[in-house]
Amino acid sequence: VSAIEYDVVIIGGGLAGLTAGAVLTHRGLRTALVTSGEPTACLSTGCIDFCKGPSALEAMAALPAEHPLHLISTGDLHAAKDMFLKIMAKSDLLYHGDLGHNRRILTAIGSYKTTCLVPDTMQASPESEHQAFHLVTFAGLKDFYPSYITARRAVSVSTYDAGVCTTMGIATRFESEEFLDDFLLWLGGLTIREDLIAIPAVLGLESASRIFRAVGEKMNRPVFEIPTLPPSIPGRRLFNALKNHFRAQGGDIYWNWPVDGVEKTGTTIEAVYTQSHGRPSRIGARAFLLATGSFVGGGLTSTREAIIENVFNLPVHIPAGRDTWFEDNYFFANHAVSKAGITVDKTFRPDSSPLVNVFVCGGILAHTQILKYGCGHGLSLSTGYAAARACAETLS
Amino acid sequence: VIIIGGGATGCGIARDLALRGIGHCLIEKGDYAAGATGACHGLLHSGGRYVVTDPIAARECYEENLILRRIGSKCVEQTGGLFVRLPGDSKRFRERFLRGCDEAGIPTEILSTTQALEAEPNLNPAVEEAIRVPDCSIDPFRLCLLNMKTSQLAGNPVFTHHRVTEILKSHGRCTGVRTVHTVTGETREIHGNILVNASGAWTDRIAALAGCEVPVTLSKGSLVITNQRISNMVINRLRPPSDGDIIVPNEAVSLAGTTALSADNPDKIRVQPEEVDAIIREAGKMLPRFHSARIIRAFSGVRPLLASLKKDSREVSRGFQIIDHGNGLYSIIGGKLTTFRLMAEKMVDAIMTAFNLKRSCETAQKPLDGQDELSGYPLSKRLADLSDVVCECELVRKEDIVRTIRENGSCHIGDISHRTRLGMGPCQGGFCTFRALGILQTERMMTPNQSRRMLHEFLQRRFRGIRHVLWGDQLREEQLVEYLYLGILGMEEEA
Repeated sequence: VSAIEYDVVIIGGGLAGLTAGAVLTHRGLRTALVTSGEPTACLSTGCIDFCKGPSALEAMAALPAEHPLHLISTGDLHAAKDMFLKIMAKSDLLYHGDLGHNRRILTAIGSYKTTCLVPDTMQASPESEHQAFHLVTFAGLKDFYPSYITARRAVSVSTYDAGVCTTMGIATRFESEEFLDDFLLWLGGLTIREDLIAIPAVLGLESASRIFRAVGEKMNRPVFEIPTLPPSIPGRRLFNALKNHFRAQGGDIYWNWPVDGVEKTGTTIEAVYTQSHGRPSRIGARAFLLATGSFVGGGLTSTREAIIENVFNLPVHIPAGRDTWFEDNYFFANHAVSKAGITVDKTFRPDSSPLVNVFVCGGILAHTQILKYGCGHGLSLSTGYAAARACAETLS
Repeated sequence: VIIIGGGATGCGIARDLALRGIGHCLIEKGDYAAGATGACHGLLHSGGRYVVTDPIAARECYEENLILRRIGSKCVEQTGGLFVRLPGDSKRFRERFLRGCDEAGIPTEILSTTQALEAEPNLNPAVEEAIRVPDCSIDPFRLCLLNMKTSQLAGNPVFTHHRVTEILKSHGRCTGVRTVHTVTGETREIHGNILVNASGAWTDRIAALAGCEVPVTLSKGSLVITNQRISNMVINRLRPPSDGDIIVPNEAVSLAGTTALSADNPDKIRVQPEEVDAIIREAGKMLPRFHSARIIRAFSGVRPLLASLKKDSREVSRGFQIIDHGNGLYSIIGGKLTTFRLMAEKMVDAIMTAFNLKRSCETAQKPLDGQDELSGYPLSKRLADLSDVVCECELVRKEDIVRTIRENGSCHIGDISHRTRLGMGPCQGGFCTFRALGILQTERMMTPNQSRRMLHEFLQRRFRGIRHVLWGDQLREEQLVEYLYLGILGMEEEA
């Protein structure tokens, strides 16, 4: 058994875990992040939603009393957001937005999604039907069909043959100068009357900003990306930027190391065990931050009778029996099961658990109802920030 | 002849009429096998299940089992079946069962615990013994398609997605029907000399359109499907019929059921969570792996049975009856999937008598048409080119979808699923339906508005099938799909 010691071990490499990692490394704490693999952030639009409504701040204030966003002061919300914007700007992945104002972005079916902070590539996304645009798409693209959009508004469409038909495949090709030049040449030859150009979100991975700027300059008018179904390129850009920042700050990432055991003395967790490279490893720390997400992320598992927290077996808040977990209406977005999770105190330590050095943040928290309130990434960002601060203060 | 109903019975009648040279058309309000036919196990009974309760039905089943294995060798999987006796199951029932099989001529073989486990390693090791019978599995939808193939080859028209709204009459005789297309709303009049009401659970409603009464008892049965095949053979419990006593393998999956609850309205049946739990509990006693299996869907069907005063619908006869309403309308009710051909034969015999024609039935001798095109589960063919795969779970390519629609002339997402298996895998169409509808728009086979509406309807219908089986990995997958549609695509905000 190899043994490694840290100040803090974060379990989970999604938005909450990586945000917490940024806070902890900024404070000079020796921090490791253990993750079983790609986070759900890679499936997301890349936008940061805090809460649906005209103003995210006002909408958050109106959330039910038990919602975990109430654990964070307005000052801390701003601080978390500012930290995020700063990290993104440094990573050449500019984000825009303000907690006082929500905005809408166009979806791949021509509807709108309410969000708060958007990447530069979506800043020009229209918020109403009146704004005309020209849509550039790619031949055979599997998860993007312009007609879902043209059904709702007058849009002219041009199609480029990229030679591949997945979002990931096209994004990778855009990283090649030659491909980009060919694309720009073709684009320049189009007659486009509209003042705005839409494109599915495939404009490169690492060099997205440069490619995005090149397209805008070539066409001499604003361009925006439309997020697609997963694999989502903007979600992956966001994840990559946060991951690289954490590493640059000196954080260690144990990638593909699922936690399969814990070492406990009394009420203190001493270490987590993971299986990797065919042998067990012990990763010890003074404190542990649980950011494993909900069901999709892998933090929670349900059986026919119960819902289980997978790492520390923390008590889970369960909304009554399985027959009440879902409503009949699919579009309800308020199924009781979305309230399942871990309830925490003001310092993000699990309620009704004796463990003293475990902190919990992100989608695994109880009462989040992410789809109903539209608070996914915003919740992860702000609770990741606040839980990490509470953890750091305890350690000092 | 106008046939109303595209279940196994209606399709069987179409084939029989075609082979006897009688012009006809078939009208169905959904796709083929939309009622009880498509909502059953897909079990081609050996007859064993009925030998104790209904010896006549048992004998019919066995005879039809032999015929279908012969004429449909490529669409019947000769799995064989076991009746397993678990600790506590009545030995007296076992004796009655063996005697019944003997009397019905159903071959049996008694297997010891060791022999049973050798034949079916996933069986509960506590099994006391097992009796082998010639049960088989059959794909009910494919069975309908193959029967219709003969009808269509002879040039007879089919109207799927057409609902009968009126039965036309002249001088007291039924002379035709008025229909409405369920997607486009287009109406149509179809005329004929004889109308056959083979609408299963809807028989009384159709008969009422002609002012006739048919006494029908509806019995709801629910089933669950796993994402993989758990047994090679059909597994039955050796005891009087009760909940969750049959598990049928069908190609890559297993189905377990059923339950029996009385029902009123065939359009409003729902699976209840208690039924799912009961089926899994009982199926798990025979195949313990059922407890950990990933259940991808639960669904209910309605058995149309002859009305009876008996309380438990399992005791109602599974036999069938043909009613001549005396005005050109015939109703055929009861029966079961296994005996559909026999039912069709008797129905067409009556029609021939009415027309005063003589030509005997050939459906038991001639092999089903079109089997070569549909044979098996050609995975290797599907794996040849992966770049155009639309449904990753079932390896359905774009060209399969486009071809299916062109051949079928309809653009209902269900039609595509039934014919290609699109969306039948673990995600239950969560990813590929969005794509399939996008392709249909791009190919101009459907307007964008139609496809948006269909996506909405599909998601709601899909949820009804999976809502009661959401736990474990299936819940995890569903939360992801919900996030795609309601989170990324914002469908909830607009709903």
